[in-house]
Amino acid sequence: MQTLSLRNDTLIDIATFLVRRWSGKENVTIEISNKTETRTRLHENRVIITPIDRYNGSNFQKYRQFRTSLWYEAMRIKFCKKILSSDHAFGFILNTIETRRIELLGRKVWQGMDEELIFNYSYMWSYRPILSSVYGKARMVEAFYQYFLIGDIKGELQPSHFEKVSRAAEYAKKILDNAIEKNYDTEWLETKIPEILRILDLDALITVPLSVPKRGPGLAVTEQDLVKALSKISKHRENDLGKVDPKSALEGKEIFDEYNVLLDENRKNENIGLGTDIIGIRIPSETSVDETKIYDLDLISNLKAKFREWKTGWKEQHVIAGDEFDAETYIEGNQPFFTDVKKTIKTRIVILLDHSSSISADQLEYKKATLALCEVLSYLKVKFAVYAFNTEQKQVVCWLIKPENMKWNYVAAKRLAQIIANGGTPLAEVYDKMYPILRSKKPDIFLTLSDGEPSDPNAVRSMVKSFKQLGIKMVAIGVGPDTTRATIIASNLKYLGYERTLAVSRINDIPKRVLSVLGGN
Amino acid sequence: MLQESSYLDWNNSFDVLNKAYQLGLFVLVIGPKGTGKTTLVREFAKRKEIKLESINFSLRTRESHLVGTKTLENGSVGFDEGILIKSMKEGGMLYLDEINSAEADVLLRLDEALDDRRQVVLKESTGETIEAKKEWFVVATINPLTHVGTKELPPQIISRFPVRIRLEYPPEDIEFEIIKRHVSGLNTEKVILGIKLANTLRQAAAVEELYYSPSLRETISYAKLLASGTSPKEAANIVFANVYAQWGNVEYQKVSDIITSMFGN
Repeated sequence: MQTLSLRNDTLIDIATFLVRRWSGKENVTIEISNKTETRTRLHENRVIITPIDRYNGSNFQKYRQFRTSLWYEAMRIKFCKKILSSDHAFGFILNTIETRRIELLGRKVWQGMDEELIFNYSYMWSYRPILSSVYGKARMVEAFYQYFLIGDIKGELQPSHFEKVSRAAEYAKKILDNAIEKNYDTEWLETKIPEILRILDLDALITVPLSVPKRGPGLAVTEQDLVKALSKISKHRENDLGKVDPKSALEGKEIFDEYNVLLDENRKNENIGLGTDIIGIRIPSETSVDETKIYDLDLISNLKAKFREWKTGWKEQHVIAGDEFDAETYIEGNQPFFTDVKKTIKTRIVILLDHSSSISADQLEYKKATLALCEVLSYLKVKFAVYAFNTEQKQVVCWLIKPENMKWNYVAAKRLAQIIANGGTPLAEVYDKMYPILRSKKPDIFLTLSDGEPSDPNAVRSMVKSFKQLGIKMVAIGVGPDTTRATIIASNLKYLGYERTLAVSRINDIPKRVLSVLGGN
Repeated sequence: MLQESSYLDWNNSFDVLNKAYQLGLFVLVIGPKGTGKTTLVREFAKRKEIKLESINFSLRTRESHLVGTKTLENGSVGFDEGILIKSMKEGGMLYLDEINSAEADVLLRLDEALDDRRQVVLKESTGETIEAKKEWFVVATINPLTHVGTKELPPQIISRFPVRIRLEYPPEDIEFEIIKRHVSGLNTEKVILGIKLANTLRQAAAVEELYYSPSLRETISYAKLLASGTSPKEAANIVFANVYAQWGNVEYQKVSDIITSMFGN
């Protein structure tokens, strides 16, 4: 049932949506990274999360842990004033108390998370190290963490030490209650940390080793262990969370439907048959990209407003000269006189975006415009694929931004955002790389956006010819800084055998131009 | 006299409307659907005891709806006055709902009546000039341009409405107050959750992450369902989530994920 694991691009889409909704902040971006533990960079609005395969359990259980971790980070974004690094005792303890504080505040609204929280704690319990394996003073810190958050310690602790830990946890609970009741924030809590350190007899700057969910060999948790941990934790948290049925928390029925939709989505986007990487087309895989930078919401909604009427097929006519409009004759002469057509564009289009060094000056604008184009195309339900090319390490690279069968989403936007304009315009080489794909997919139109002449015009001419032989309409748009330059580029492109060439001098006009190509078809 | 009214004037629009009425200035109300634009106008007319004529514009609204049509009765040609002419003659209040979905020719005719002369030449009938009574008062509403089927209002029409009121979704506590006026016997906490959910969805719709933004009507319906014994989660699914299914499974799943994390069992 759950043999399929979720890929990062499917996850990023849902993760971005959820974190933005939960935190109520629009410009948060998600990065999946196996280099650090899950954390949030508040000033960058960036959540960095451990990849899903680093968690234990079945694929569904992994997803639940992943989702809950996201929820915690979203709550941190909402409620934390600052997030310190957890690699020293001071920050670690503050973050520990903050975790509980944001959890309690968060669940005032997100009450449906209760079962998920309990479930997450059960796995967390299994990830925490046994105290005897933590050396030095860090052991006290870890013991405090376990005792404060989970209500128990793993392994043994010297009685005098345990007494300190339980006193510190009690004190922490007291200040936490105070903070919740009086609505104090991170900074107030921070002033109380020295007292906890004093009780634990610790120095503020003791180094605390990272604790990342690990999938070590033989670390698998058995079902019984999990149930045991679950009932222990749900008992411990009964005061805050009320009664949670361990069995139902283990099953997680509530989010299973949603998980299934994700799986379907995952399957849909899967590459079947000819893999792009085999034929030398790469997929930008970096997730640490801020795609919000290339979203120009005004441009997008402007364009959408413009094309909305066009979409429904209404046409407005304003005639200044001529005979007066006589409705009755018109009705008689035009049978049926009124048809309401829902227009859809059936044309399938492949778009290739030039990312050579010449556009690097206007790179951001260019990306904003092309992104707006994609948004509008997807709004108009056009079937389209987007590719881009640039040069990396002296080699031209053709990137797949969005295949035809994928929905336009953050993932595609992230891919577009990370392509750096660099290198020349070896168009023929790029065409050659794309040829096998286009031969199998056979789009109606293949549109190239370029801002310069290709460095290999003769080769381009023959490539264009072979595309035309496949029955693909070849269109090129020349992008230039001013009308003259754009026209020159466009007319030069014309000599290369394109069936249609257009010139654009204002980058923001790109979407309109492309849509006119589609509409005219 | 106002106690039993279900309208809550939370951003002082009532006052502005009242002043505009006294000064004879026409009013344009701007705001997304379901923010209580129509309720505001109706309430105003009721309290002021003015006769209210209203028309809801769509692409199919024709000039004849406004001005009137010729009729043939017992062999003689008559004229059936449209809503515009009626209200001008009576000097009541004319409410033009969603004026920005009207076609250009309809707007042109309106413009004639709305300019400073406040008169229309009745070319459809005898060609007489209809003059509006002095106390004639017009209020129009428009939806923001992002809404389906809306167009930009031509500037000359906008300028006929020098008083503009912006209605947004109310803050949480106000929305709760409004709901309380419609539904009684409420579980405060659960209703607030529903409002929070609606606001989350509105926020997502504002940045076009979701296709639909729930209105006040929906939070009120949610509260009504709660009061009738439906569980919060079920009510939320019925009122808020299911509608998103029309944009596909993914859209629906995203919303239901939000609901799942908000409502426990």
